[in-house]
Amino acid sequence: MPDTKKIRIFMTGVGGQGTLTATTLLAKTALSQGLTVTSGEIHGMAQRGGVVESTVLIGCKSPKIGIGEADILLGFEPMETMRALPYLRQGGLVVSSTEYMPPLSVAMGKQECPTIDDIRKAVSTCTDKVYFMANQSIGLEAGAVQSGNIAMLGALCAAGELPFGPEALEAAIKANLPAKLQAVNLKALELGVKALNS
Amino acid sequence: MANPLLGDTPGDTHLLLGNEAIVRGAVEAGIQVVTCYPGTPSSEVPDTFYRISPDGKYYFEYSVNEKVALEVAGGATLAGAMSMCTMKHVGVNVAADPLMTLCYVGAPGGLMLLSADDPGCHSSQNEQDNRIYARLGGMPVLEPSSAQEAKDMARDGLLLSKKHGAPLLLRTTTRVNHLRGPVEFGPAPAPGKPEGFKRNPPHFVPIPAFSRPMHVRLMERMEALREEAENSPYNKVTGSGEYGIVCSGISRAYVADALDNAGLADKVTVLELGFSNPLPENKCLDFLKSVDTVLVVEELEPVVENELRVLAQKNGLSIEIKGKDVLPRNGEFDVTMVENAIREGLGESPVPTCECSLPELPGRPPNLCAGCPHRGTYYAARKVFGDDAVYSSDIGCYTLGLLPPLQTADFLLCMGSSISAGGGLAKASGQKVVAFIGDSTFFHSGLTGVANAVFNAHDVLIVILDNRTTAMTGHQPNPGVDKTVIGDNDHPLDIESAVRGLGVTEVRTVNPFNQRKTMAALEELGGMSGVRVLIAKEPCPLYTRRVYKKIAPQVAYVAESCTGRFDCLDKLACPAMYKEGGKAAVNPILCNGCMLCLQVCGHIKAKKRGS
Ligand code: SF4
Ligand code: SF4
Repeated sequence: MPDTKKIRIFMTGVGGQGTLTATTLLAKTALSQGLTVTSGEIHGMAQRGGVVESTVLIGCKSPKIGIGEADILLGFEPMETMRALPYLRQGGLVVSSTEYMPPLSVAMGKQECPTIDDIRKAVSTCTDKVYFMANQSIGLEAGAVQSGNIAMLGALCAAGELPFGPEALEAAIKANLPAKLQAVNLKALELGVKALNS
Repeated sequence: MANPLLGDTPGDTHLLLGNEAIVRGAVEAGIQVVTCYPGTPSSEVPDTFYRISPDGKYYFEYSVNEKVALEVAGGATLAGAMSMCTMKHVGVNVAADPLMTLCYVGAPGGLMLLSADDPGCHSSQNEQDNRIYARLGGMPVLEPSSAQEAKDMARDGLLLSKKHGAPLLLRTTTRVNHLRGPVEFGPAPAPGKPEGFKRNPPHFVPIPAFSRPMHVRLMERMEALREEAENSPYNKVTGSGEYGIVCSGISRAYVADALDNAGLADKVTVLELGFSNPLPENKCLDFLKSVDTVLVVEELEPVVENELRVLAQKNGLSIEIKGKDVLPRNGEFDVTMVENAIREGLGESPVPTCECSLPELPGRPPNLCAGCPHRGTYYAARKVFGDDAVYSSDIGCYTLGLLPPLQTADFLLCMGSSISAGGGLAKASGQKVVAFIGDSTFFHSGLTGVANAVFNAHDVLIVILDNRTTAMTGHQPNPGVDKTVIGDNDHPLDIESAVRGLGVTEVRTVNPFNQRKTMAALEELGGMSGVRVLIAKEPCPLYTRRVYKKIAPQVAYVAESCTGRFDCLDKLACPAMYKEGGKAAVNPILCNGCMLCLQVCGHIKAKKRGS
């Protein structure tokens, strides 16, 4: 395998959102490009509506990302983006959803989520490379809410920080997803790339 | 087409989960018998074996608990079958009794025990280090750090175990079980037939007269395995420099990345111990003599560190050995933590940290799913007993009942303890005890607890939360289920007959979504003394969707008339419900149509799904 620059991608979302599917797809995309890749995931109790964290690391041996180590933070839920911010290294890239999945205490009106402005402000103390997108709406537009995650992967590939672009992800979708899911996810990918550039 | 994990396709590369890689390794070794009790982070190993079992050439079973699983695998290896038994770290506590003696008796067909340890307690009640069991029993240990090694070590471990007749420990940690990486396949020849049992009482019957020589043979075996460890490619020295690092398991990956980040790879000599027990003493001694300081990087207990200290002392070396004095003895490591320990040892300044501070964010604790039948049982119990009862809990999804507003888990020890520890608490204090246990846990080790409670006349109300599956670890079958993902269970055990057979006379069965009947049963049984059992029977909705291919035809909605009293939200905490504009609301996508909330508030109604 070629000697590649190390890239550490930290992904976070809520159990049931499809975070792990997106993680595996991104890892397979990197592998298809001949890159050394490891990915990791932590689940278990967290699956019952808790936080799910996963990682994709290119050029590394470790499957884990510690505090301040991530080059890229991909947040499938805005409050989880904020919670995971300590994992980002100074000047890293953030791609985050703007659409909330409120935890129970918020749904019950006992606590409040930070606003998108709060989150923007917090992120801006760490980096100015930030993209926000409405991944659930984009997913719905593509045909399935979960495909919003693929839209975000598309945006990430288009952001220019990875050693491959959206075409590699497109090929990986065609090679790895069952036929009946491909059209929706290819559409989501296209919309994600567009959202980044708009 | 059969699953690629089973194919004889050397040279193929697949991106695999560490746990899937272990399955492939076992297939390449010619595995014949696999037993398990599921437990995170080990579960995908047996689940994968199970899923592909229709095409596999091995026998697979979900055993009722870890002790039984190891005993079944133990019998199989005595019959000459290459066997594997998988569990999470605390499962080894359950299996410890047969394990210690199996190490004496040996494993003619080969036997590998997978212990998936959980530093950081991602999904466990403790973070014990099972490498210590291997020292206690006398087992060789392999510790993978990548998906490729998980595959190779599973294969090589089984072959090594068979060669020496020694039960072997494959010790993983959560990060290894749940990492994904490329795995290059080797050949997977079809396994032959096990040779069958060869009678030999002095070898296989550990009565004291036979056990004493068995212990001697065990020690000899370990010396032979020490030779293997000396020559194992999994134990290797790289780099050069006066500063030495010894590492094992996933720490090897952290060390490699840390040295790379710091640009120190050429200034440090690293001894990796992938085959970490028995310690390759000559190799370690040569290493200790070649450096002037050693940092031992291993998560959890200072196992290798202490062994190296002993080795150095025995050989009169005055080398400085560091380990747990600079790295923590609890939790997981990460690359930066390891890099800083190395930098400190070399007198360099630590990696700069980012000082971003965040406000306190609302937590996102896990919760019982929308439509979970346990919510119905817990709601009824809280209504009937409130804070007057002590709630003894057990291991499963239903432990989540501990959170407000249900708050029906006051203490917990281990699998099956709700019944026995609950009985003990009631005996000691005379307080009213309600013990909750799931169906899988009941078969795991609740049955003996019931027998004990009846025999010793404990005063305990046992509620068996029978959701028809083992939900927590990923919906594996247990003896009570009638359907599984790969077919029907031909011998479903009936929990009600089982508890009656154990001598319980007061037994009721209810559907927990019928609140009136559930509360009436709890009140009735609560008024009695002795051992009483309520079976709250209703399948987990996630399992229903997957296995019975059914979803509830209705969903709940909140009528205009809602007065904003929020009893539904405050007392049920169903994740499908939320507040909106001073009224309660239901998210129809999340609602599983259990109709529990309708019984809590008259302003909530049912409608057809999708209407
Ligand atoms: S019917 Fe009510 S309690 Fe049941 S899942 Fe739907 S909203 Fe939740
Ligand atoms: S998985 Fe099933 S049993 Fe577990 S919390 Fe969800 S609904 Fe309940």
